Amino acid sequence: MSEMKDVIDLRLKLCRWFILFTITTLAVGLYFFQVVHTDTYVSLATRNRLRFIRFPPARGEIFDRNGAALALNETTFDIMGYPLDLMKGDILEKFAGILSKQGINTTSADLINNIKRQQMVPYRVVTVASNLAMTQMAEIVSDPDFVPQLFPMPVWRRIYPAGSFASLVTGYVGEINEQELRQSRNRGYLGGDIIGKNGVEKSYEDILRGAVGQEAIEVDARGRRVRNIETKNAVPGNRINLTLDLAAQIEAFRLLEENGHRGAIVVMDVRDGAIIVMASSPTFDNNPLAWGISSQEWNSLITNPHKPMLNRAISGTYPPASTFKALMGLAALTEQKVTPQTTFNCTGAFTVGGRPFRCWRRSGHGTMNLLAALQHSCDVYFYQVGMRLGIDTILKWTKLFGFGETSGLDMPGEVPGNVAGREWKRNRLKQPWFPGDTVNYSIGQGYLTTTPLQIALLYAAIANGGYLVTPYVVDGHSKLPVDLKLNQEYLALIQRGLFSVVRSGTGSRAGAFGLEIAGKTGTAEVRGKGDNALFVAYAPVKQPVYVVSVMIEEAGAGGGRVAAPMAGQILAYLLNK
Amino acid sequence: MTETELSIRDKLIKQDKWLLVVVCILIIIGIITIFSAESGFSGRGATYARRQFVAALVSIAVFLTVITVGCEKIFEAAYFIYFLLIFLLLLTILFAPKSMGSQRWLTLAGLSIQPSEYAKIAISLGLSKYLSRNPPLTIKSYLGVFLFASPVIILVFMQPDLGSTMVFIAITLSAVFIAGAPKRYVFGTMAFFISFIPIGWQFLKEYQKNRLLVFFDPAIDPLGAGYNAIQSRIAVGSGGVWGKGYLEGMQSKLRFLPEARTDFIFSVFSEEFGFVGSLVVLSLFCFLFLRILQAGIKSRDIRSKVLVTCVCAWIWFQMFESIGMSMGLLPVTGLPLPLFSYGGSSMVSILTALGLVSSIHSSNLKFYK
Repeated sequence: MSEMKDVIDLRLKLCRWFILFTITTLAVGLYFFQVVHTDTYVSLATRNRLRFIRFPPARGEIFDRNGAALALNETTFDIMGYPLDLMKGDILEKFAGILSKQGINTTSADLINNIKRQQMVPYRVVTVASNLAMTQMAEIVSDPDFVPQLFPMPVWRRIYPAGSFASLVTGYVGEINEQELRQSRNRGYLGGDIIGKNGVEKSYEDILRGAVGQEAIEVDARGRRVRNIETKNAVPGNRINLTLDLAAQIEAFRLLEENGHRGAIVVMDVRDGAIIVMASSPTFDNNPLAWGISSQEWNSLITNPHKPMLNRAISGTYPPASTFKALMGLAALTEQKVTPQTTFNCTGAFTVGGRPFRCWRRSGHGTMNLLAALQHSCDVYFYQVGMRLGIDTILKWTKLFGFGETSGLDMPGEVPGNVAGREWKRNRLKQPWFPGDTVNYSIGQGYLTTTPLQIALLYAAIANGGYLVTPYVVDGHSKLPVDLKLNQEYLALIQRGLFSVVRSGTGSRAGAFGLEIAGKTGTAEVRGKGDNALFVAYAPVKQPVYVVSVMIEEAGAGGGRVAAPMAGQILAYLLNK
Repeated sequence: MTETELSIRDKLIKQDKWLLVVVCILIIIGIITIFSAESGFSGRGATYARRQFVAALVSIAVFLTVITVGCEKIFEAAYFIYFLLIFLLLLTILFAPKSMGSQRWLTLAGLSIQPSEYAKIAISLGLSKYLSRNPPLTIKSYLGVFLFASPVIILVFMQPDLGSTMVFIAITLSAVFIAGAPKRYVFGTMAFFISFIPIGWQFLKEYQKNRLLVFFDPAIDPLGAGYNAIQSRIAVGSGGVWGKGYLEGMQSKLRFLPEARTDFIFSVFSEEFGFVGSLVVLSLFCFLFLRILQAGIKSRDIRSKVLVTCVCAWIWFQMFESIGMSMGLLPVTGLPLPLFSYGGSSMVSILTALGLVSSIHSSNLKFYK
């Protein structure tokens, strides 16, 4: 064994020599570069004149289903330069002078701040002045004070011809911010790049953005271009077509804005989930956002009490109110808690736990079966259905139709709503679940909140024979509907009930436009505010194509009066074209 | 031979003080350089220098803890530590998010760690215990060593982390060499690795191939991978004999140097402190290696001899590669310069290893009592 140790010690000593040798090698290498050839490298360092220019690509354009433009690009000019070269001498002062001749008031201090804000690396190009028209650019460049360290570059600016009518769907673009830069590391973004901030512009960023071109050039000591080292052309982004119908969208906004309503209208193809209309009022113009607005303007947009940037169709949550009754009816039939013949007597109120729950019709509806209860939206009937089902079964059915979850829509900003049950109440309110909560739930009130889009999905499933679709706004991105395996007989019964709502029930105002429509009214009580009016409908009844969900905040009247005519008109617009 | 356990006080007093001094000097120079690397054209900040300082304090605490615990107890847990790290590397491959095209970071209880750094200690411990029990004298036991080390090597290669893979191979080779493998095996292995180069090439990712190709000719890709090599060499070369002075290195200030506080930290240092400064750092490293090997030569324990060799090979490989790379003489692999580059995991793991070496040094002394 000691022989073994000798071998090992010998080799350890050998290692010492090996290390001395390698470190000497490194020292010789350093001597070679730092002592023998240092002049070469010193001059290379002082002449380090690589500069990079990025060419932003033209972003993919966005159109509606009929080819109407929603987002286009326009060429403008930016004046650019390298921070490394611009900070020398009085270049920026001279340039500020040139700009003021063009009526653009700025000082060299402003320009320096602007440059500092953009600059990640001093040898990468920055924008000194932006959004210049061709003629302005020509005059600036031909000014005798214009220095060759600055140069004009054509850039694309985004314009939205449909402006506020489609802004909540298309979204808008803007300069990438620090947080976005951090989140999208390794995806090739740099400060100053344009990125989709919201809507389809954001969710389809990768398709729309294209690839940035780059040029590497060598400049001389004064920052003038000497030669090109590498050029990579920009690749434009791809065009996308939305499923939206801009004309119908404008019609929907007309209906909403006519009476100054706050609310949303969603129209969807019941067969595959294509969104035809997604209107939310009030809205905003996305053009100024894409061109850059002041922080003051931005603040007034986001602090506006009417929330113009909230897409109520997918980001607003509301009680579904009586539109929920169709789901309750279907659940009760399928769970064998009632039959089509089961009747309840509505005396105008129903007492649970010593507390009376009123029907909206204080005098009562009398004896009601399911069909009549849907037609007249009898609350008492559904209170009793709810008690028979119990909250757990109700929740199971609510979740089946996608409530409480985002739908998978290909747009950012969708919220799941709240399918609140026992657990939620225990955690949030530290209270057990009371039977009265179940009663409230049965008519879509209480803790349940949904988006107008989710209600459309429920009625699409009723209309299309029991398929839950995934909504989408960009053509070609539909997903296969999920078969919910509903009992077709019961479904037909609910459909009949919904048809009678419009023919001779609470929703009759929707039927005044020469179409066969099936639908359901809803009037939601919101604590401390006026009632919300809802109406959800599909048409044509025989072969449903469109489902429309209308939601009006603080409407001042019920769903049958305010929302139903709007749904009827938008369906008539689409089907009578 | 009666072994008397050293008291904690003895352990701390008898540690290799020279080793600690050299380590501290290198760490301080490192922090100073990191500060320089992060102060650039548009202002100064000390975020990374401050973080590195905290990492250094933690590392030195770990270093002293290792000495207090003593190498003996740690050797006992060697296999456990080794298999634990294999498990962590497995977790990294399975669950770690991809960043910059590879998976290296694992978040455990809110702490972000790089298991491959700690695996370097684990493999050193594992190998030294394994080799002291199974000397690589027959072909079977010789190949067994590679089988023993292969899980770590393969898992790190899969991350993929080419630089660290090479460190693990260097550790394994030096361990079998020191443990007394017959010469013909050693030469056979060398021949094998040389013949393996063209096959291994096929397994490399595109960017890894690119890094290696531009090493031979930086002009292939002057804006991509070759750009770094060129700019780094310019930084080092323009430093001259005396350097441009602290905080005066234009290459790093104008950010021509990429990854200045990690991969190219030596270039930043060398530009500002010149050939003379570089020689000082090289001498400090040389002294460090000699102290490490000395602990092994003095030791009577084969385990300890193998362990110090592993630690020495690891630090040496990273130092040689990192400094060679900064001159553009070796390919860019992204290995940190030990004790110098910014990075907490690397610092903690190296000081843990050095704690083991220092502990071996003090346990050598007890036999001479």
